[in-house]
Amino acid sequence: MSAAIAPSVPVGGAATAVRLIWRLSVRGMLRIARRPSLIIPTLIMPVFLLVSFSGSFSGLGGLQGYGTDNVYNWMTAYAVLQGVSFAGVGAAGMTAEDMENGFYDRLLLVPGGRLPLLLGPIGYSLLRSLIPTTMVLLVAYTLGSADVAGGVAGVAMVYLGAFGVATAFACLGLFAVFILKSMRALLAIQVPIFMITFLSIGQVPLSFQTGWLHAVSRINPITPVLTMMRQGFLGPVTWADSWPGLVALLALVGFFGIGAWVMLRRMAP
Amino acid sequence: MTQPIVAEALVRRFGDLTAVDGVDLHVDEGEVFAFLGPNGAGKSTVVRMLVTLLRPTEGSARVAGFDVVTEAAAVRRSIGVALQDAAIDPMMTGNELLLLQSVMHGLPRSAARVRGPELLERVGLTAAGDRRVGTYSGGMRRRLDLALSLIHEPRVLFLDEPTTGLDPTSRQSLWEEVRRLNDEGTTVFLTTQYLEEADQLAGRLAIIDGGRIVREGAPGTLKEAIGSPTLRIDTPDSHRDSAAEVLARFGEPRPCREGRVAIGLAGGAGGMAEVVRALDEAGIPLDHLELDAPSLDDVFADATGRRLEGAE
Amino acid sequence: MTAARADDQSADDPSAVGAGMEPPHRGSVLAQAVELSRRSIRTSFRNMAAFIPGLVFPLMLAAVYSAQFSRALALPGFPKVDSFLDFIVPASILQSVSFGATAAGAELALDIEGGFFDRLVSSPVARVTILIGRLAGSAVEALVKSIIVLIVFFVFGARVDGGVGAVIVLLVASVLLALAIGAVGLLLAIRTGSQEAVNATFPLVFVTLFVSSAFFPTELMTGWYQAVAQNNPITWIIDPLRRLVIEGWSWSDAGLAIGLPGALAVLTMAAAVLGLQRKMASR
Repeated sequence: MSAAIAPSVPVGGAATAVRLIWRLSVRGMLRIARRPSLIIPTLIMPVFLLVSFSGSFSGLGGLQGYGTDNVYNWMTAYAVLQGVSFAGVGAAGMTAEDMENGFYDRLLLVPGGRLPLLLGPIGYSLLRSLIPTTMVLLVAYTLGSADVAGGVAGVAMVYLGAFGVATAFACLGLFAVFILKSMRALLAIQVPIFMITFLSIGQVPLSFQTGWLHAVSRINPITPVLTMMRQGFLGPVTWADSWPGLVALLALVGFFGIGAWVMLRRMAP
Repeated sequence: MTQPIVAEALVRRFGDLTAVDGVDLHVDEGEVFAFLGPNGAGKSTVVRMLVTLLRPTEGSARVAGFDVVTEAAAVRRSIGVALQDAAIDPMMTGNELLLLQSVMHGLPRSAARVRGPELLERVGLTAAGDRRVGTYSGGMRRRLDLALSLIHEPRVLFLDEPTTGLDPTSRQSLWEEVRRLNDEGTTVFLTTQYLEEADQLAGRLAIIDGGRIVREGAPGTLKEAIGSPTLRIDTPDSHRDSAAEVLARFGEPRPCREGRVAIGLAGGAGGMAEVVRALDEAGIPLDHLELDAPSLDDVFADATGRRLEGAE
Repeated sequence: MTAARADDQSADDPSAVGAGMEPPHRGSVLAQAVELSRRSIRTSFRNMAAFIPGLVFPLMLAAVYSAQFSRALALPGFPKVDSFLDFIVPASILQSVSFGATAAGAELALDIEGGFFDRLVSSPVARVTILIGRLAGSAVEALVKSIIVLIVFFVFGARVDGGVGAVIVLLVASVLLALAIGAVGLLLAIRTGSQEAVNATFPLVFVTLFVSSAFFPTELMTGWYQAVAQNNPITWIIDPLRRLVIEGWSWSDAGLAIGLPGALAVLTMAAAVLGLQRKMASR
């Protein structure tokens, strides 16, 4: 036995927390590698949605006011959004599974603060969202000949939006998991997440939408996020198309993040 | 030196159910203390309160000198915990879990690199370190769970039913490891529903039933307090009542399995011949007869009026 | 589920029916088919968790698409239609029906996993009736869902220009498609015996429906995607159905809309029966 480690002496609080957050994030990625079925929501679904939305609705490019004649330019941001939504739900899924098989008790016995239990799964959803985001972008550029009008800044906006949405939905999922403490939490959040992403400018601009849909997607916080992520495909990146999305993301992350943190503290003081 | 585990009037209620109903505990440094009781007696609830996973409804507890509610983080830093069923993520390998555990306890990378393989060797899992836990046997899981709880060299170790469901060989090897740890100075608090486990390992034990401690002391002392050995007989149903009458002349009746008659043989083993003669004279046929020195089961039966499930 | 199983088992107990040496006569085949059908129909309606999303999701999709694609009607090449709602009628019905259409296979796989299947095939129940019984539940469920979807569409102002005849063709086609998908599920269940394998086909059904003319005309697609969509059997079924809805009655479209899914259903059911016979022969 190595006697070098004196018990009950904390080693670097913040540094330990950061290392733990990283380990928990990597742990999530290991699951993807080891559970082949996870490749469907992580990779196959987002790419399929890109190809099928763009393919089925390619005629929309011929309409005045659509903003682009290549529908891939429009659908890429939407397919990325779907992919990172699954990534956010995945963070909740990992935590719910830990709770169901009892492993979460071991995590609750961590001597430091509780923050890594929130930030670890979020880190996982961020790492994981790199996969659908990058793959959808690659397919859009190669198969769909999407434009890079916005250049590096445009691509950066896609990743920024992806990370923001993944974080927000991970927080929403964790909020539900910390309350329900089981996989049922995933079912509970799937419908709201589907609705908030679907009732937006995912497939057509606001000006095309009529009636109730127009009213809903105009106030939907995901709408400015999509505008921000999409702008690089339609033209140069502008501040006017960026700040509303950033504000919406900050609000979503703040709202769900605080909710998740409060529920975590209530469950594990 | 303060006692590593002290609890005063611990109570835990879940809604209307009182799972733990006023438990006091004093465990000394370097002791192996066992909590013996049937399923649902409140053993795990007490452990979960002591390791900070559950807040007491009433009462207080100090572990390793820290209050379990107000100084929970310090408690967690000082203790090692292996919970019931060895619930560990089946998707990860032993090495990955050890790494995660060392990060949780803030071990420097260099220390973790030495400590992980050391612990795996200690519990005999070196060859399985890179295999996923999902492929481990029950015994291997428990041993890995034990290794995980030792990563930061805790002064106090909590083991919640460490051998439930294990085969005798795996149970033996886990006992040996617990003894070794105790020899090195670790205080061990374990819960069990196995009499033999408590008998073999514990310096002192408490019997818990219905959320209360009903007996407490060293196994030897508790057994001595029972005094007389237990005599049990099997006889056909038609003779059972008369058998009980005859036996009552030789000692107090004791609880036993359905269909048997048992007493505490007041005169000790020397009185056996007389008992057999008396039964014979009364014309009571014997299917089976046994005489046991007092066991922890007798202690349990004496305290609760019931036998421990699966015992006897 | 368990309760249904218990009473079915007593009804199908070999000793209760007889020694099981002779092939069953006509009357008992019918009785058995009816009994097994009732069992599967009960099961599908009890499983509301699968029934409701199969209605809500297609209706939701139709509502959103109608509210966002109205401008697309002006595109050259888009069929002349009063509203997108009319355009999407067949797609929504078929989508609703495709939800849970593989359930028959999944249940059969569960029976095979659980051993109940062995009891059934060792009893004098005609083997084909096992499959018919399973599919009857799917067919009734498909009919009920199609009717509900149609009613909702009518409430929101959809019009079927082909009249009552077109409505009947829509319902028949959707039931036939449900039978065809259901039979594929049964075949998979017989071949693999695994519920997981059967359930894994659902995304495939979803994808097949999407890469077709269901939600947008193939005339407005391009390149390889258009080629795939145009050669998708779902497109061959959707297109005549849609003409019946938006253009009016035509015997040839009615024939296509029923003939294609009918042929598919016959082929897949024949494959399932053959699969079952081969499984029996290899015992």
